[in-house]
Amino acid sequence: MNLLELRDLRKLFPVRDALGRHRGAVRAVDGVSLSVAQGEVLAIVGESGCGKSTLGRLALRMIEPDAGEVRFGGEDLRALSPAALRARRRDMQLIFQDPFASLDPRMTVEAAIAEPLRLHGVVPRGQESAKVAEWLERVGLRADHARRWPHEFSGGQRQRIAIARALASGPKLVIGDEPVSALDVSIQAQVVNLLQDLIRDLGLTFVLISHDLAVVRHIADRVAVMYLGRIVELGETEQVFSRPRHPYTRALLAAVPGQGAKAPPLAGDVPSPMAPPSGCRFHTRCGHAVAMCREVDPVLPSEAHAAACHLAAELPPAIAPHETETGGERLRRLQAFFTQGTAA
Amino acid sequence: MSTPVLELDNLSVGFGTDRGLVRAVEAVSFSVAPGQMLAVVGESGCGKSVTALAVMGLLPDSAELGGRILFDGRDAREAQRGRDLAMVFQEPMTSLNPAFTAGEQVAEALRKHRGLAPRAAFDAAVEMLARAHIPDADRRARQYPHQLSGGMRQRVMIAMALACRPRLLLCDEPTTALDVTVQAQIMALLDELRRETGTAVVLITHDLGVVADRADQVAVMYAGRVVEAAPAARLFAMPQHPYTVGLLGAAPRLAGRRDRLASIEGTVPDPLNLPPGCRFAPRCPFAVARCAEPPPLAYMAPGHGAACWRAPLDQVLAA
Repeated sequence: MNLLELRDLRKLFPVRDALGRHRGAVRAVDGVSLSVAQGEVLAIVGESGCGKSTLGRLALRMIEPDAGEVRFGGEDLRALSPAALRARRRDMQLIFQDPFASLDPRMTVEAAIAEPLRLHGVVPRGQESAKVAEWLERVGLRADHARRWPHEFSGGQRQRIAIARALASGPKLVIGDEPVSALDVSIQAQVVNLLQDLIRDLGLTFVLISHDLAVVRHIADRVAVMYLGRIVELGETEQVFSRPRHPYTRALLAAVPGQGAKAPPLAGDVPSPMAPPSGCRFHTRCGHAVAMCREVDPVLPSEAHAAACHLAAELPPAIAPHETETGGERLRRLQAFFTQGTAA
Repeated sequence: MSTPVLELDNLSVGFGTDRGLVRAVEAVSFSVAPGQMLAVVGESGCGKSVTALAVMGLLPDSAELGGRILFDGRDAREAQRGRDLAMVFQEPMTSLNPAFTAGEQVAEALRKHRGLAPRAAFDAAVEMLARAHIPDADRRARQYPHQLSGGMRQRVMIAMALACRPRLLLCDEPTTALDVTVQAQIMALLDELRRETGTAVVLITHDLGVVADRADQVAVMYAGRVVEAAPAARLFAMPQHPYTVGLLGAAPRLAGRRDRLASIEGTVPDPLNLPPGCRFAPRCPFAVARCAEPPPLAYMAPGHGAACWRAPLDQVLAA
């Protein structure tokens, strides 16, 4: 069953100059349809300005779409009254990239996590503290951290607090907008492991918005690749990563460092979303483009592994990303000590 | 062997704070040969950026410096910033002056350090921008930073830094703020220009993938110290410090899913309250009693050293 269904969503942001004159509009999300199954981890990937964060906010109805439909558990979110929508908020939560910005510096950790508990009446009045303590331990912190303030914690600990706050109301759907991108790699690994444990144990439906393809491959069941407001490729993670079909996905994967020094796969920058190219939006940077690509806008077919590309069937087979892993068995055995404890 | 362009000999940097002395960098030694790329890798607060700022002479006067920084075998304080050594920062928008065009800013460096006349300097600046693969360089040179994309701005920074043909270029997370396809373009550009000009590069980064692709030598830093130094290929094949091992295991992989990331438990120590011995010991699954004493950087192969009492770790595996 699909928990979340997005149909032909569109969102324009008007752009004004310093004097308030209308200068056009950014087509942040321009006709996106997507469904997320119950219990699924779906990743939305793309570079800055592709519309992935806007799509996440539209899905939670934090911003209103100009057109299109958002259905959550079969219910049209746009049709809900403000009060009904507030009640629905319990079921859908967002984790932001920057835990420094998402936690109120004037609220203790206890107050931050107790707020959604109280707001949604998750536990009877007076029992919030015990629940807060439970959540703190669940995200790898200590119950006595409840009395402290956000500034007393490191970035990784703050993100754990933000996760506890997001999950406290018992949501069915959680959207993580770059939830581990601001963290150092060793801390990022801790939070990725924590998120995976929580997704599994709580049976969460999780939408991961990320630019980090390695994190996406590690966590997601399915991937949607966005470029200039559109989904250009959609499919199971293993399929998309090992046999990418859209030239943009191929370029994106080839650009990830750690695959040996080679020529950059794409030249130039992403065109302005205020004036996206005609036809296929990627044609200005695509090495395969033909005349049709400049004129006809390709659609995303409804296949399990789909690419919005006129030439998808004719492209040469993709080269799967490879990493120069040289540490081999020795490194794996040494790394096992980190997951298993001491070697003293 | 030729004289290294840069040599750090037992560099230490401390900052006085109201809570005590923060030892940001301690006993750091490494050298970079002409044309080489040395990567300094580590997480936030490990001292990698402070090391670069010390080399550039950009630390505040209140910083307490120890040890020596040699540029071409002489005290680096005699070297001229901008001409002999230059730096590229993470955020090009904060390093570029918003009130001057890209061309004017590159030209200024050429006027100041190479004594070119204004007209000739601007022409040379346009040429430098073109060499940094800025399309339509003549027009772009007349644009202001806000009219350029992030990738373009970083190209301008690189053009400016290399305009006076410095012997050494320091790059502090030059691609961290950029999208992955643009990142690949900038790293390829740095590599290309380094090979053309023979400029030595010190690349400060947290990205092990970039290091594996581009660096000749690597120094891994943790809590202010170099914990492992090795030729890049060897570091990835035979890491000897537990922190390096953990770092390699913590990064998710593009080529295939791991069951679970090997996370390093705990957090980096408080710089005001550092553990007495090995600074990684509190988080290290290999730690033993002896780790209460600071381990020296000991070499176990040519150019490959690790500051760990238990290195080479192969002994642990064999036991």
